[in-house]
Amino acid sequence: MKSPQQSAPLSESVPTEDLADLYENAPCGYLSLSPHGRIVKVNTTLANWLDTPAERLLNRTIHELLSVGGRIAYETHLAPLLRMQGFVFEIALDLVQRDGRKVPVLANATERRDDSGHHIFTRLTLFKAVDRRTYERSLLEARIRAETVAKAEQETAALREQFIAVLGHDLRNPLAALAAGVRMLTEREALSERGIRVAKEMGSTVARASALVDNLLDFARGRLGEGLTLSRESEVPIEPILEQVVAEIQAVHPERAIITEFAIEGPIACDPARIGQLAANLLSNAVTHGAADAPIRVQAFTKDAHFVFSVANGGDPIPLAARERLFQPFARGDVRKSQNGLGLGLFIVSEIARAHGGTVGVKSSDEETRFTFTMPLEHE
Amino acid sequence: MVLQRNNVNVFGNGVRTMMFAHGFGCDQHMWDPVARNFADDFRVVLFDQVGSGRSDLTSYDSAKYSTLDGYADDIVEIGEALGLTDAVFVGHSVSAMIGALATRKAPGLFSDLVMVGPSPRYIDDEGYVGGFSRAQIDELLDFLADNHLGWSAAMAPAIMGNADRPELGEALTNSFCNTDPDIAREFARVTFLSDNRADLPGITARTLILQCREDIIAPPCVGEYVHAQVPNSRFVLLDATGHCPNLSAPDEVTAAIRAFV
Repeated sequence: MKSPQQSAPLSESVPTEDLADLYENAPCGYLSLSPHGRIVKVNTTLANWLDTPAERLLNRTIHELLSVGGRIAYETHLAPLLRMQGFVFEIALDLVQRDGRKVPVLANATERRDDSGHHIFTRLTLFKAVDRRTYERSLLEARIRAETVAKAEQETAALREQFIAVLGHDLRNPLAALAAGVRMLTEREALSERGIRVAKEMGSTVARASALVDNLLDFARGRLGEGLTLSRESEVPIEPILEQVVAEIQAVHPERAIITEFAIEGPIACDPARIGQLAANLLSNAVTHGAADAPIRVQAFTKDAHFVFSVANGGDPIPLAARERLFQPFARGDVRKSQNGLGLGLFIVSEIARAHGGTVGVKSSDEETRFTFTMPLEHE
Repeated sequence: MVLQRNNVNVFGNGVRTMMFAHGFGCDQHMWDPVARNFADDFRVVLFDQVGSGRSDLTSYDSAKYSTLDGYADDIVEIGEALGLTDAVFVGHSVSAMIGALATRKAPGLFSDLVMVGPSPRYIDDEGYVGGFSRAQIDELLDFLADNHLGWSAAMAPAIMGNADRPELGEALTNSFCNTDPDIAREFARVTFLSDNRADLPGITARTLILQCREDIIAPPCVGEYVHAQVPNSRFVLLDATGHCPNLSAPDEVTAAIRAFV
């Protein structure tokens, strides 16, 4: 007696595989076609799937086993592919049973050729794939649904941006009328001291509202694919423009200290209105977010074939997490409470910088927060 | 640009040009076994329809290619780019009709037209047998949705524009017939839903119609209809079966074209 540990050969003998039976009753369908596409041999498994005795399938064409879509595809895709590369793998087909019901299968096919390359048979192996095909179809449907939803969302977004553009445009006129009215009041009417103060505040509020609307329009234009358009002039004396921006902001905020330091050599090729808008956005940003008791420093200079403009303010540094999103549209709020605006100002700044072939960056520490715009003097 | 867009290949030593066009399904390789037989005495032109093979997929425009006219315009542009006059146009399947439209648009380019397995309309109509119903065509579109034949978006860059690096192409199973599934669906739709019966009587080119026996895509009665409608046409019934005699019986197709030109 051998002990069990010696792993004795099992007493039952290993059966010899019956190849004929393997062909007939294999767990897949076998089908052989003549070069003209007629069935010359088919196994029992496939005949059972088709619910038709094998001998009744012989000499019929492959087309008779396929759905119409499969037939067209067989002629337009599979037959040519078989001819050109000798094989086709993983094709999803629907076989049609005698009563018209469909059997989804996956098929592999190869051409059997003789030594001289003559085509003798086309051999197909077919695997039932009911669950797999159902799964694939549901994936496909899910994708189509997702694409439909995404498309609808894109359309909604485009509509929303169009709405913003129209709204912004329509807001301009009443704001302009309001500004004209306030100007008339302060310049031509005899107002009390209090009246003058109120009218001036109204004037600065209207100016701020107009700036917001301008930003909104620029944003909407950018989003609507028109991008930011520049009317570039070749020789812009830039210092007076910057000085005017500073003067305007200073007029509205006489209590804030703004220190300027300009060292600009010669005129610069740029869009003066846009550069003014960039400077105004950065400066009002500094006024809004900077510490009230610290001066705002505005620097502008030319160096190494670049024009550099920067605005620095004191106060708490901008947290790192917020810095990354600073130049994205509507980036505001969750890290630092925004007191003013939609969060489009810096986005517009970065767009203006980009349109000028330049960049805008931020450095923020306990000492100061500084936004720096740099653009090359030579435009490519 | 046009020549790159359609991946045009020109070879052979003849003076007269013979241009081959593949139909719905695969690409210009469909014509290799026939085209090579004409290289000794013709200038042979092979190309891929935009959206198929190694054409420039970025040139694909759903609106332009929503009718066969869009494809016919391409043929005219290729013909003009190559400076063709009185050339032979050989079109398989839907490209037989596309070629017919091209000969009408620019009569000087092609004097002879060979239509292999043509059908001016695949869907049955009153007094006309095309072979298919609308529902059956929809089934074909479903099939295409289920079979990407090796296509995947990740592979697209490799398939496009690597004609100079064939080893990339060889790695791609079914590369002759894989197409962006969306384009394949649209090509199937324009192919199988077109009705060009009214264009047939206006074809002035000498025309040869090659018809296979047992062609389920374009059955013999359709080939006979085309023959009856095209004024200056000859009809040859091949011994070949199936829809692609250019692959299954290239010698017979070659002989028939030779006898015609």
